[in-house]
Amino acid sequence: MRRAFLYLLLLSVSGLLHGGQKSVVLIARADSKVSDLDSLTVRKLFMGWPVLVNGGPLHAIRNRSDEQLDEVFLQQVVAMSQSAYERQILTGLNRQGSIRPEDVTSQERVLQELLTDPNAVSFAWLRDVAHNPKIRVIRVLWSE
Amino acid sequence: MERVINSLRGRLLAVVLLINAALAPLLYLGLSRIVEEGYADLFVNSVRSYSRMVADQLEAVPSQDFAARSQDVLDDFAVSGLVVFAQIEDGTKRVRSAVSQLPAPGRGEDFHFHEHSDQAYYISHSVKRDDHEVVLRLGFDETPTLEQIAAAKRRVLAAVLAFALVSTVLAIALSRVIARPVVRLREAAKRIARGEVSTELLQHSSIAEMRELSHHLEHMRRELVGTSERLQSEIREREASEGKRLELERRLQHRERIATIGTLAGGMAHEFNNIMTPILLYSQLALNGTAQNGALASDLKRIVAAAHRARSLVNRILTFSREMDSQEARVFTLAPTVAEALALVRAIMPANIEIVVDPLEDTPPVSGDPGQLHQVVVNLCLNAYHAMRVAGGRLTLRLGAAEHAGKGGARERYAMLQVADTGHGMEPAVMQHIFDPFFTTREVGEGTGLGLSVVHGIVTSMGGSIQVESAPGRGARFTVLLPVATALEPAATDVA
Repeated sequence: MRRAFLYLLLLSVSGLLHGGQKSVVLIARADSKVSDLDSLTVRKLFMGWPVLVNGGPLHAIRNRSDEQLDEVFLQQVVAMSQSAYERQILTGLNRQGSIRPEDVTSQERVLQELLTDPNAVSFAWLRDVAHNPKIRVIRVLWSE
Repeated sequence: MERVINSLRGRLLAVVLLINAALAPLLYLGLSRIVEEGYADLFVNSVRSYSRMVADQLEAVPSQDFAARSQDVLDDFAVSGLVVFAQIEDGTKRVRSAVSQLPAPGRGEDFHFHEHSDQAYYISHSVKRDDHEVVLRLGFDETPTLEQIAAAKRRVLAAVLAFALVSTVLAIALSRVIARPVVRLREAAKRIARGEVSTELLQHSSIAEMRELSHHLEHMRRELVGTSERLQSEIREREASEGKRLELERRLQHRERIATIGTLAGGMAHEFNNIMTPILLYSQLALNGTAQNGALASDLKRIVAAAHRARSLVNRILTFSREMDSQEARVFTLAPTVAEALALVRAIMPANIEIVVDPLEDTPPVSGDPGQLHQVVVNLCLNAYHAMRVAGGRLTLRLGAAEHAGKGGARERYAMLQVADTGHGMEPAVMQHIFDPFFTTREVGEGTGLGLSVVHGIVTSMGGSIQVESAPGRGARFTVLLPVATALEPAATDVA
């Protein structure tokens, strides 16, 4: 009886730990040729700078389906405030002819875009894509 | 207080104060929010960029030096002052800057400015090493930014209060500018209401609407004043006309009454005359056939004398009723006849009555019996004598010419005889009856009450009129107007 109680306690603690950890990951289609991107490249990609992989430009999709996810993106990926990021994007568009990352406000739309474009790259909560065989996690951007 | 609140200035001021009371807090809150968000955005942007730069620099540190240099790198960043906590976590191993001012946080990282009450903003970054990743944790002090926000809020509050104050002062000034012509209009309207209708309502104002309003009101005032004056003039004319109408009506009624009395008296006098004729005839015959010294003769003489007095009375009544035709109708002027009558009057006037005769100007000729006019003058003078015989006074006679509206309304010329006294005068009620036969205010036996009736009858028979003006204690004035004789009337020899 005492053993069973300890076992149950251990199970619940591990479950809490596992369920309490939140991670934001960089994702692409399962058959995408994107293998890995360092943090500087990811930042360049989402700042609208052209990033080529195997001669093809990557297509950045900004996942705005969740407010906290967006804040993690701003803090960890581009390291800017919202207004500064918008300003930088507009400056890049007007002066350097950079490409504005596509803003998508629905998780389903993000996945749909990724599935239709092999060069598309986005980010999402790990829990939302971990069990999706059509989506591949490229790297962890942030975890808590 | 209620009057002040309900006044135009009070309302304008109240509106501005209410707007200020409603808008000033909103303005302050809105501006404070903008300031807060601006500073917060600036802070978040700075710390995110700074922490990213630190993470990038740490990634650039060669692996063989990392363990030895990580402490120094963290210290370098920490001494800059902005970073108050710096730590690298490599598995279970933790390297913390020696100059960290805060202990290790017991919570995760922040994503919003001032998210927690510890006034620190924590950021974690994964720093890639050769075969694994280490976690860089940085804490930034929010206090300077919070102080800047507080200072900015104070400035905003001061600006909003200054705005409210200035707008209130401007509202007071504006309300005065707007209300001043209205107040002046009100005062002018009050003066007009008190009867000073000449007060102008025109106001000089820089506000076009107010200027136009005062123009319209002034125009309206002038129209109303003109209408009022016209109405008052019409009322005066109508009152005068009504007075004249009443006077004419009174005269007509009086004339009709006199005519009725005259007709009645005339008829009676005529019958009485018929009765008197045989009495006088036969009593005279009887007297002639009787011894003159006897008692019978004496009685008959008394009968004859009484019959003569009765006939005289009858003749006067007939004169009043105009049934006795004039025996000597002719054209003559008044002055000689009046002078003759005046000589008779002077003889009987006591010393306490002064006779004043205005120069007897020659009057236009009239048509009638001079003897009857003689009687008119005597009767009027005797009437004046009776009014002044106790207290004395002044009898004034005047002759002249006058113009007066005739029967058809056209102006006609008249010869005028005026007899005035300074006696006791008459009450209006007495004046209404003075031409009635047998009406008298004297003691019984002092008069028959036929004197003025006879005068009225003679003047009326000559086509003229007689007017009397009198008031108690102010004497009386009789004015006789006789129509001027025309050339077609029989021109007899004038009595010079």
